[in-house]
Amino acid sequence: MTGTRGDSTLGAAWVDRILSTDGIIDEAKRRRYFEKPCRKRIRENYENCRRIYNSEMARKLAFLTRKSRQDPWLGC
Amino acid sequence: MLGTQGVLRWLGRRLLQAPGGCSVESQCRLVHTGSQKLQEVAEESNSTELTHARHSADFSILPPMPGQESHLRWGNKKYEDLHIVHIKATYNNTHIQVTTQEGQSMVRTSCGTEGFKNAKKGTPIAAQTAGISAAVKATDQGISFVRVVVKGLGPGRLSAIKGLSMGGLQVVSITDNTPIPHNGCRPRKARRM
Repeated sequence: MTGTRGDSTLGAAWVDRILSTDGIIDEAKRRRYFEKPCRKRIRENYENCRRIYNSEMARKLAFLTRKSRQDPWLGC
Repeated sequence: MLGTQGVLRWLGRRLLQAPGGCSVESQCRLVHTGSQKLQEVAEESNSTELTHARHSADFSILPPMPGQESHLRWGNKKYEDLHIVHIKATYNNTHIQVTTQEGQSMVRTSCGTEGFKNAKKGTPIAAQTAGISAAVKATDQGISFVRVVVKGLGPGRLSAIKGLSMGGLQVVSITDNTPIPHNGCRPRKARRM
């Protein structure tokens, strides 16, 4: 029975990835020190704005990549 | 983000299981495969389980739960009979304890018992050394297959597992049991640097 040493690190990486997508790692880091309610409100606001901006920008880029194509009327 | 846990299952020599510390619904898009059902976690801590299936044609995401009948055996032991390695990865140290399935302690090492002092205990290298020594002591007692439960986000989180496998223990699954309070005790005040 031979097993490569990298297997356990691979699995641990999987775990960390799952946890970070679930937001558990960020949550744990945040709870290390107390976050005052005023700071928390500011952060939530910022994250909302960031989320909106990112989604809209991604939408815009998707549209532009569809729009940009080789000139169909080349030569006219 | 409550309730069901998406789980991956990798069966084979190296099985990794990772339960987490709070009830959070994991993003099953990433880990879910087709016909797998999601497991409801009743513990107060989040449980994300990973076990890797290598040879079996029926790749199941779920780890073998105590009620289920599974054909998987590791050293002729069922999944729930395997020994558990608890790794507590704090920011300043890493503790490793090997216990039976009931919880009876067999081997206990930490960075401090390995001879590291003060700040050096909170390093991944110290955690790896502790992992290797714990694995050696465990194999002396006859343990070969083991499931790992990790608690905390510290520098030794990853390297302790690596040390265990370097020392000769076969890691079957990695579980993450990091405690996430649902607004319980108030932590200490923020550091101003």
